[in-house]
Amino acid sequence: MIITRRATVQGLGLGALLPLMPRLALGQPANLVSRPIPSSGELMPVVGLGTWITFNVGDDPVLKDECAAVLAAFFESGGRMVDSSPMYGSSQPTIGYGLRKLRYPERLFSAEKVWISDPTRGTAQIEASRAYWGVETFDLMQVHNLVSWEEHLPALFEMKASGQIRYVGITTSEGRRHREIERVMASEPIDFVQITYNILDREVEERILPLAKEKGIGVIVNRPFRQKRLIRQFEDEPLPAWLDETGALSWAQFLLKFIISHPAVTCAIPATTRVDHVRENLEAATGILPDERSRRRMVDYVEAL
Amino acid sequence: MSDWITYRLVDFLMFSPRVYYRLVERYNHDVWPLQIIFIAGGLFVLMLAVRRKNRAIAFPALAIAWAFCAWQFLWMRYAVINWPVSYAAAAFLLQAGLIVVSIRPAGAPPPAVRLYGGIGLMLLGLIAYPLLAPFAGRSIASAESFGLMPDPTATTTLGAVLALSPKPPWLLLPIPLLWCAVSGLTLWALQDPGAWVPFASIVATLALVLLSRR
Repeated sequence: MIITRRATVQGLGLGALLPLMPRLALGQPANLVSRPIPSSGELMPVVGLGTWITFNVGDDPVLKDECAAVLAAFFESGGRMVDSSPMYGSSQPTIGYGLRKLRYPERLFSAEKVWISDPTRGTAQIEASRAYWGVETFDLMQVHNLVSWEEHLPALFEMKASGQIRYVGITTSEGRRHREIERVMASEPIDFVQITYNILDREVEERILPLAKEKGIGVIVNRPFRQKRLIRQFEDEPLPAWLDETGALSWAQFLLKFIISHPAVTCAIPATTRVDHVRENLEAATGILPDERSRRRMVDYVEAL
Repeated sequence: MSDWITYRLVDFLMFSPRVYYRLVERYNHDVWPLQIIFIAGGLFVLMLAVRRKNRAIAFPALAIAWAFCAWQFLWMRYAVINWPVSYAAAAFLLQAGLIVVSIRPAGAPPPAVRLYGGIGLMLLGLIAYPLLAPFAGRSIASAESFGLMPDPTATTTLGAVLALSPKPPWLLLPIPLLWCAVSGLTLWALQDPGAWVPFASIVATLALVLLSRR
């Protein structure tokens, strides 16, 4: 039996002091490639964790524990950004369950969304999300899929000014409403934009990623694997003979390294239910990243498959 | 509007097959042995249809099945992982109410094609549905039964109201038919081999209504 600090404190009759215990010190994380958030300079590891579908497990105790294990592996490997939304079913309470188990790792960067068409109910929704996570404040609050963004953004900027959140962002996915996204990026002082970008969906390279770079807006990339479909599409194909120049060891890392090697990208947020996969994803943020020439080779290679 | 045409069926799926079928397994475990009681109640309704008895006795059993399914499965469990289902729970309660207000003391027997076709649909909902899980490569623990799960409840009800109503039961058809369409599409997105069954229920119901009008 391993004697834990919790057991020792309780055994000594000092259970009341448990809340004062320092947060769980997770193992020394790997040295992950990190990029500064443009608006603040705060460093962010380039691989985060999405929760769409994967953390929507209801109240199933077995699956909740599996998600908590994914979170534990994510933080142990040095990850920071965890992203969710009120649209994701039970994902928010599942995150809260995992974070409570892990005693709220200090390196958590909480990225949430407001997703409600009635702007007067935005604050209440954010508060409900906060209660599910069990955090004091969110680091980043994004307007999900641009729903009522004209009304939500001023409220989010006020929350940022009063210290209730640290960053403000907007999101879209799968190439939708890019013109509107550009308009918001050009006219509003947002910190982050979240878009879909992967080796086959590269439309954002034309205008949105350069605009983000120009305006100093951080970029979060969702659906890096097209919800697993890219992995399934390529997993039976051989990896290129020149894999060394990408720094990848697997198809998942090949696909992730393509995304995070774009200089405008701040963080990609693949979702998974598996501990080995979350470790593999974070390992993509170690070692070398492909340069521009290798990135072009990567595109040519997968398009020829 | 142009945004909506960019969505695919799978984009609306917010949970994995594993999560859904574990939910059904845990539900079956929680409510055992109500499966047997509900199926026995459904067979009682089927017997009334076979003997061409008064539907006033049969319909309350159907209403209870819809209300229970709405409350315990759709609202308490399924809506937790699939929030649009909370609207379906309301529709199921509405269907229970519609069944109650459709109770009539007597009526002429339906045309033979609708009677026997309706009985066939009831057998599909009561007997075949619980056996689908192993055929679809799933554990029997995730079997779907009348009164507990929406698909067999809808199919059994479609069969019962066709077999027991002297005229086409227009008021009682839309909600179960709509549910079968939603469920079929969901199962299709989940790549479940049983996705064709709710569509078969729709086709059979519409065919029976049309044939019996000749």
